[in-house]
Amino acid sequence: MQAFLNAANQIENHAIKAWKQRGKMIVGYTCSHMPPEILHAAGILPVRLRGIQTEGMEIGDAYFGPFICSFPKCLLQQAGMGQYAFLDGVVIIPGCDAMRRLDECWRKAGNDHENILPGWFDYLDVPHKSEGHGLRWYQRELRNFLTRIEQYFGVTVTDDALHESIDTYNRGRQLLQSLLEFRKLDNTVVSGHDVFAASVAASVLPREEFNRQIEKWLTELAIKKPLAGNTKRLMVVGSISDEIDLFHLIESESQALVVAENLCFGVRQAGGQIATNGDPITALASHYLTTSVCPRMFGKYKERLALLKETIARYQVQGVILQNIRFCDLHGSENGLFERDLEAIGIPCLRIEREYGPLTETGRIKLRIDAFLENID
Amino acid sequence: MRPELMQYNYDWMMAKTLEAAARFPLGTPTETRLALKYMPYYQSIADTFYTAGDPGMQLLNLLSEYYTNILKAHESGKKIAATTFCQSPAIFYAMDVVPVTFEVLTALGGLVWKRGLFDYMDYCCEIGMTETSCSSQRGAMGAYLAGLGEEIDFVVCDTPGVCDTNANAFSFAAAYLDKPFFQLNYPSSLGDARSEQYHLDDYKALVSFLENHTGQKLDYDRLASILTAVEEQDNLIAELEDMFMLEPVPLPPIFNLALYTGRFTFCGHPAFTRLLTSMRDWAWKRAKQGCSGLKSGQENLRVYMCYIDHYTVDMNFWNYLDERGIANVGSILTRNFRDFNTYTREFEGAGYSLDVSSKDAMLNSIAQLNSRLPMVRSIRGPYDQPNMWLEETLAITKLCRARCVIYNGTPGCRNTWGMVKPFAREIENQGYPVHIMYGDAFDDRVESWESTRERLDEFFQVRGLL
Amino acid sequence: MTVVAGCDVGSLTSKTVIMRSGRILGNAIIKSKPNPVESAQTVMQAALAACGINMADILCCIGTGYGRNNIPFVSDVKSEISCHGKGAQWLLPSARTVIDIGGQDCKTIRIDNAGQVVRFAANDKCASGTGRFLEVMSGVLDISVDELGNLSARATAPVTLASNCTVWAQADVIKFVNSGCPLADIGAGINTAMAKRVAILANSVKPESDIIMTGGVAKNKGVVSTLEKLLGHQIKKSRKADPQIAGAIGAALFALETINSR
Repeated sequence: MQAFLNAANQIENHAIKAWKQRGKMIVGYTCSHMPPEILHAAGILPVRLRGIQTEGMEIGDAYFGPFICSFPKCLLQQAGMGQYAFLDGVVIIPGCDAMRRLDECWRKAGNDHENILPGWFDYLDVPHKSEGHGLRWYQRELRNFLTRIEQYFGVTVTDDALHESIDTYNRGRQLLQSLLEFRKLDNTVVSGHDVFAASVAASVLPREEFNRQIEKWLTELAIKKPLAGNTKRLMVVGSISDEIDLFHLIESESQALVVAENLCFGVRQAGGQIATNGDPITALASHYLTTSVCPRMFGKYKERLALLKETIARYQVQGVILQNIRFCDLHGSENGLFERDLEAIGIPCLRIEREYGPLTETGRIKLRIDAFLENID
Repeated sequence: MRPELMQYNYDWMMAKTLEAAARFPLGTPTETRLALKYMPYYQSIADTFYTAGDPGMQLLNLLSEYYTNILKAHESGKKIAATTFCQSPAIFYAMDVVPVTFEVLTALGGLVWKRGLFDYMDYCCEIGMTETSCSSQRGAMGAYLAGLGEEIDFVVCDTPGVCDTNANAFSFAAAYLDKPFFQLNYPSSLGDARSEQYHLDDYKALVSFLENHTGQKLDYDRLASILTAVEEQDNLIAELEDMFMLEPVPLPPIFNLALYTGRFTFCGHPAFTRLLTSMRDWAWKRAKQGCSGLKSGQENLRVYMCYIDHYTVDMNFWNYLDERGIANVGSILTRNFRDFNTYTREFEGAGYSLDVSSKDAMLNSIAQLNSRLPMVRSIRGPYDQPNMWLEETLAITKLCRARCVIYNGTPGCRNTWGMVKPFAREIENQGYPVHIMYGDAFDDRVESWESTRERLDEFFQVRGLL
Repeated sequence: MTVVAGCDVGSLTSKTVIMRSGRILGNAIIKSKPNPVESAQTVMQAALAACGINMADILCCIGTGYGRNNIPFVSDVKSEISCHGKGAQWLLPSARTVIDIGGQDCKTIRIDNAGQVVRFAANDKCASGTGRFLEVMSGVLDISVDELGNLSARATAPVTLASNCTVWAQADVIKFVNSGCPLADIGAGINTAMAKRVAILANSVKPESDIIMTGGVAKNKGVVSTLEKLLGHQIKKSRKADPQIAGAIGAALFALETINSR
């Protein structure tokens, strides 16, 4: 658990430091639609970019305009302050408009600030549709992406290597799925904060280490007694968050437990085994474009609502916190629809709009959460 | 939204207003002038159209026809599609679908009504949309989501990946109304073979969607005749676009609006051809005389609006340009990027061509045409890449000899606010002063018109432009 | 005779209400001090003095407001949203929607006939739509906030202000003043801008009659009358007590519930 907290609480965690010391390569990426297995197979550590620990915004604001979500601004600020100096490369994915503009903003900031642009700066053009020609486009993108990795990093990545990496990541997915079992009503032994720390850690730790740590933790959880108390079971949905402090804020000093979430860094990524035979790129493309959809795929509201309802039923969720970062219209507006449709089936919802970054406005959020909890039976 | 607004169907109100406005000047000049005295609310907006000669009347007729089509759609057996301005309506006209183009209707509402469409914008927020969503969709969309318009049958947009807040508005509308939704999705680059193929594959999927939801197969003969009309329109547009390069610009500020409004609403339709012909003839006369299109006849400054114009409210911005003697050489909305246009020729892969020789050729033509519409063309990828926003802006600014560049958008515009600062710096480095407007083109509660005007005056004065 | 109290420590003002047999025995409102503990102690002492009793006489006290977790003498805390709902229902038993505009935030709450919260929405992020907006604007006009409320009735052509940003609206107001625009028209514009922001929030909880306003801005006639027009509902006044103490009343009522359930 400590390894997860360590990974979740800082950008340059112990594993990254150890990796660099061995002279190995690290590539950052910005979106859950990029298969980290490809980098893993090339012997590169894939690290999901995060904006925690941001202080100040003078670099972020110099390139991004004012009406922009704070997440990419924090990423740019951290990059500009040298917090991402350990990266050998970065791949930008057009997750949403604000995130895709990180491409230009980081490059331009790289002209003005020394040494903040990694040696390899790439762009993976993920489409917004997952059927037919969209999927074919994505497959071609992944193949081209792999070629560029091989050329720049001077490696050859075989299909066997990809299969092995998929297998290793499959194991992690399976273990995360097992972790979720400990959130069910009859056996809730783990807090939302701890689960989220683990799933955030999954996006930054070397996969083998992650698998080892979570395996160990699962054996500890297996003998733990269920958490006591008359706790209210919540689900957190919405804009990108890698802030375990947010979960702490929700769960601390209140009789609440986050038993499920649908977040980009969360265990939305769990489950689903990818085939380890056949063409690996085809298998990866299918998984990373079609499962775990987010509103950036447009037109998938019904599927997303169905997934939420299913999750609510499986984990006996009593209330849903629908949070969005200000200027995140995709999640913010979708939350409006979720509120309508979930309340119609008797699930209380709380919509919160907030800023991403060091949680400076905990009082306001806490007030709303407390009021919400007081009204859940 | 104020409860009393729930009493009137919004599209019916606008249709009747525009219809009446279009009929007004059919009387004698004295009759028109006297009658207008009894309508002080509409006087200044009506003036703007009436004093633009025959083109002004053609534009009014076009707008009136657009709304009337919406009202009559269902009774004449046609489907209604909610769509965006960067989705060409040519395909809809080929398949008996009537477009409801949210942004155009929002702009129109803001121009015609002094109070703007703020109530409807707020209604969208009341039903769950974020208030930071772009106002351009939210105006007219609020009316339709409140049930104050004809029923939408399905939703089509082509902005995922280009303008998320736009695509999000349409997918929200579809989910809220529980209607079928289709998105065309553009890759981040333009002009390369792979993207062109994707445009075609995606467009074929759009055609299948339309066939499914209209119950009719695409009639390629009809498509051919529409594309032939587009060819004629493109030629007229090319002439008009060339005139923006003349000094002084013989086109009055409102012609800009007419040019792109017509294209977004009636591409391939006779109403647009009539408007373009009238505009071309009117402008040629002034061009031959070397006259400015401005009312004063005095052109003091040429500006390029690198993004969009300012629509709120009551033609304020257009009147301001006229008062100050500022020629607007266009915006991102103005140019259509046909391959034979002057500005297109020097950029590889920038333009589209039309070929009606076969079904495949037609589909490819319309797919490539659609992919050159504003935003989907040059906002789809990093701004400093080929065919993207910086290259386009600098090319047109230089060709049209604009002396400065003005950025105007809305706070909802995530894709441009995400990089307008470095973008503006690069244009300044090329020697063109840039003014970034922090208002909202459709909602002057964000920045009042008085403040916007003051900041524009300050910019022109401080940078020695006026 | 059960004596209970509610203590509402807000960021701008702190309030205490002492109740006995369901009626208000005494109350106090003070400007909050930087230290919430001090604010709580001072306002409690003031309320005790107002009704001539001691702390020991109070059987139960519930705390609410931003500083609720710092009040030393409370037995429990409740969110101010729940307390405002409860308090508003006491002020007006027919109330089903509460609009609370405080100094720094704005909340709209739907309640049931027991004053329980059904749903709520709160504004975030900025000053427009809060009492602070009116404070800033009245400062620019060099009038009191109370006088600002009376201007709407005298206006003939209210101006339109940038209502999304307090800072820019302030610049607009200065311009209007400099251009000689009548004070009443500017004041009406300010009140209208405020009302419009609040209306969006209110409509998002689908308000039902009767609507009551709590918080300091409830005293601004201009905002209230414009809001009524925008919502299409009458906004009722509270005659039983100052609407500003609704939160503290609610907290006291929760204290009574606590006693009764023991």
